[in-house]
Amino acid sequence: MFSIPKNAAYQRINRRKFLELGGGAATALGAGGLTLGLGSTITRSRVQAASTDDAKWKQYAGSKLVFMSENTPPSFAIRDNIKAFTDKTGIEVTILTDDLPVVQQKVGIDLRGGKADYVLNYVQDKPIGSPFADFYADMTPMFGDETLPQDPEGYGDEAWFPNFLSACGRFYQKGKIIALPYDAAIACTFYRQDLFEANSKDFEAEYGYRLEFNKDSTWQNVIDMAAFFKKAKEAGKDVPYGYAQHQGSFAWTTQLDIQRFLFANGRWMDWNIDDVYGSKEPGKTNWGDESSIAMLGKFKELADVCHPDNLANGTLELNTVYQSGNIAMQTQYHEFAASIEDEKTSRAAGGKTAYAPCPKGDPKWIKNGGEAVNGTNCGIGGIGINGNASDDLKRAAYIFAIWSVSQENQYNVLKGLGGTPTRKSVLEREDVKKAQQRPTHMPNALTFDPVYNFGIKDPNFVLGPKIPNGNEYHSILAAEVQKCLSNEQSPEEAAKSIQTQLDELNGAG
Amino acid sequence: MSNSSTTIDRQKGFAGGAELFRVRQIPDSVESKPVSHVAADPPSVNPAASKAYYFWLMMPAIIVLAFISIYPFFWMIYMSLHDVDIGKVEWNNFENFTKLASDTRFLMGWWLLIQYSVMCLTLQLIIGVFLAVALNGSRWEKVLVTTLLMPMMVAPLVAGMVWYFLYNGTFGWYHWLFQSLGILGAKSILASADTAMLGLVLVDVWQWTPLITLITLAGLKRVPQDQLEANMVDGASPLRNFVSVTLPNLYPVLLIAIMLRFMDNFRFIDSILVLTGGGPGNATKILPVYLFEVSFKFFKLGRGAAIALILLIVTIILGMLLVRIFDRQQPKKA
Repeated sequence: MFSIPKNAAYQRINRRKFLELGGGAATALGAGGLTLGLGSTITRSRVQAASTDDAKWKQYAGSKLVFMSENTPPSFAIRDNIKAFTDKTGIEVTILTDDLPVVQQKVGIDLRGGKADYVLNYVQDKPIGSPFADFYADMTPMFGDETLPQDPEGYGDEAWFPNFLSACGRFYQKGKIIALPYDAAIACTFYRQDLFEANSKDFEAEYGYRLEFNKDSTWQNVIDMAAFFKKAKEAGKDVPYGYAQHQGSFAWTTQLDIQRFLFANGRWMDWNIDDVYGSKEPGKTNWGDESSIAMLGKFKELADVCHPDNLANGTLELNTVYQSGNIAMQTQYHEFAASIEDEKTSRAAGGKTAYAPCPKGDPKWIKNGGEAVNGTNCGIGGIGINGNASDDLKRAAYIFAIWSVSQENQYNVLKGLGGTPTRKSVLEREDVKKAQQRPTHMPNALTFDPVYNFGIKDPNFVLGPKIPNGNEYHSILAAEVQKCLSNEQSPEEAAKSIQTQLDELNGAG
Repeated sequence: MSNSSTTIDRQKGFAGGAELFRVRQIPDSVESKPVSHVAADPPSVNPAASKAYYFWLMMPAIIVLAFISIYPFFWMIYMSLHDVDIGKVEWNNFENFTKLASDTRFLMGWWLLIQYSVMCLTLQLIIGVFLAVALNGSRWEKVLVTTLLMPMMVAPLVAGMVWYFLYNGTFGWYHWLFQSLGILGAKSILASADTAMLGLVLVDVWQWTPLITLITLAGLKRVPQDQLEANMVDGASPLRNFVSVTLPNLYPVLLIAIMLRFMDNFRFIDSILVLTGGGPGNATKILPVYLFEVSFKFFKLGRGAAIALILLIVTIILGMLLVRIFDRQQPKKA
């Protein structure tokens, strides 16, 4: 039926030969895949200082870079718009996104292993910046390099919102910048204006002041409000709980939750170290002192009147509780306003939520002689370059880094997916100014006034503590405070236990 | 059937009827031997192989094993004795081990791991054996066993995510169910240090009880029916039958199941990381979770290696103990 040539390939290759060839091909494919699949590659055309701007952007055309980032709106928006970057530069960028703990582990192994599989990293200030700062490239030599393209707005402190560059870029030594501010999560207060108005009279009758929230509202007021709502709910009234904390499984957001409270009351800090640069040898901690014990007592007092799932709610879960209408108020990161204002998924949308600065400390509580401030903290995600990469890879990565944090990109992210700008100039655009009032098509902009005009400014803002053992510090702090909130130990026992463990951790015991 | 008038004589054929029937003559020397001895061995296609030949055949497997198992094992021992960082490996006088003696999180991790393993194993054994006995021989055995096996086919991380949503205090269906039944108060199961561990145990029981059921079912098929029947004839009740005949026959398979599950528990972190991350406080931070934290969150690789080595040694010792018990249960060969 069919004519088979005598010298057909299959007749010339016996079974043994076939297996040998198959094995060889599989090995080659595997090795090739491992080599080429993930790693960054570089090709370069030489440019001079006098070269055109276009030539400087295109000098690494044909190169491939890998960016490991958290699954936040800027990364999604940039991934959607990556063609614009490739068209401009000829560089292909693979953007991998994952939950922050996974990102932390992957980049940690890469950096500490001396590799550069991820040449660009999302440098979240606390979980990634503090422990791995020494492994990132210093970007300052590239800022003034005339053979590289540069952003016309520059990269100095004046280009960004106050403290942002310091939060994610400066660690342990002056003069070195390891990351540029890429996105920001700044704490502020979200509260249900409709519920506050509806219950104001009853509250005033019980507590002697109006149920309203503004920049002068204190943590004592928050305790009063949470207690009022809890009591009303348990009496069968159709109201939600008043407040809930970030006490779930993310240790660093738990740390931030505790830090806001303690910093507000006398600007108390864990160590007496520079808040901008941090320290590799922080010495003895302030935990265990009179202020920390008293504040932990107040923190517990607040926890006792919070939503019952207080100890299971991490930052995301807490926002879900608020979205579902189960609490009347939360201290939350301003990037979450977009989800709160989404009428399809949120019961707190449609003008029910108002935004204000973080609560202020109560002068009556303060033991250390410091001032009462609206203690505000952050998670500033920077974009940094792996220090293990070759010089050319670093330069190519730099081109992507400055493009990703440009005003145009940040504006597009804000407009498209609800990002949180880090460049000041974004807020100077007319439509962004307008979007800060309802009705708005940029819901995150509703938080800009309490956050950018108040919370992040001194004396309210706290950046650190930046210490190399940051992740173990977060873990110890979260565990001991949660034990205190679970009635397993008193505030004093918790503060002393934190003191012992932190001093041992830093060799200051 | 023999015929009295025509007796068979192998040598002579039918007496008196040799013409009628011709009997094939089979020599005694042939008939007394098994067939295999009679048939001539076919000539071997492959010549006898040398030991070197087998050695080279195994070589690829040995190399792979060396890379993925033996080398990391010795590297782990080396790391456990040093401070390990990039470009820096320093001998530290067994500090990784001595510091563990005063590390409350390490000691608490052991205690929680023991609690977790004992609770999981006990519940899985009771429920698993009960289900196997109920299913054994039933009309729906195959369908039900297949259905029961489904949780085992789910990746532990995914199982953790699913249960995380089921337990959620805001929209979790199980949370609502537990509250409606009065089992839980206002707090969800993972929000309290008192109940979080129970929440994790339930997930493990849901996912891995089917394995015990499956192994037990296989064991039940091997229980000698004659012993069961003899016991019943003697008037034993079904319970008595189970205790004195079925259960002793199940010991070997149950020991294998226990060994598999306890080894699993000693390296288990997937769903715990998703469900509680070790909290609230350190209420669910069993040792493997702490080991993960130390190694990949705190990046203290030397200390992590020391914890891993201790965990490995304890697992091996407990495994050997179980194997010894298993050996004792085996019938002695004559």
